[in-house]
Amino acid sequence: MHSVEKLFILNNEIKLEAEVLQIKKETSSCVALMCHPHPQFFRV
Amino acid sequence: MYNNVVSGVFNSFVKKDISCMRFNFRGTGNSSGKHTSGEGELSDVKACINHLTRSLRFDRVFLCGYSYGAAIGCSTINYSEKIIGYCAISFPWDFMGLKYKELSQSKKPKLFIQGNRDNLAIYENFENYYNFYLEPKQYRIINGADHFYVGFEQEVAEEAYKFYRSIIV
Repeated sequence: MHSVEKLFILNNEIKLEAEVLQIKKETSSCVALMCHPHPQFFRV
Repeated sequence: MYNNVVSGVFNSFVKKDISCMRFNFRGTGNSSGKHTSGEGELSDVKACINHLTRSLRFDRVFLCGYSYGAAIGCSTINYSEKIIGYCAISFPWDFMGLKYKELSQSKKPKLFIQGNRDNLAIYENFENYYNFYLEPKQYRIINGADHFYVGFEQEVAEEAYKFYRSIIV
């Protein structure tokens, strides 16, 4: 079981809260990027 | 960072040892900034893609988004050749307008997941929107699910995983 790393990604002056699981490249070079809903839109 | 649908898919991928990342848009959770009309959020997704492909040096990126995250996330499908396809869960065409329908058009593989009781991403309009998209494309109807997928998280995660597996080979 691998551990999920918490980090912030910088987009100009904006800091984006993120979590990433990075499997060693020997086994995977593909990553899934998942986008959350926006609470201001749907209250989810 | 918690949403039952995204967490369902994310945790499923983690358990299967699939590299994955999730993030909060600007102005959400512990992300800084404020909500914009969409342009800022599109750049948020692109910043994440850049981080994955340039800093972490992934060769391929699979996009998965739920609701607003589907509209924004999937609209970056043509941003990079390294993006191989997307899974859109309850794409809110009815709320988000035609702009995101156009931006999410692509010849890359696409999966649309839709609940047949969804009255926000309106189920009755789904087929019309789906028909707009180019092949290759697929859809899955989750019977009994509304926009929030309570109790259907695992079924959604399994469909996203099967599609992911089908396009990375």
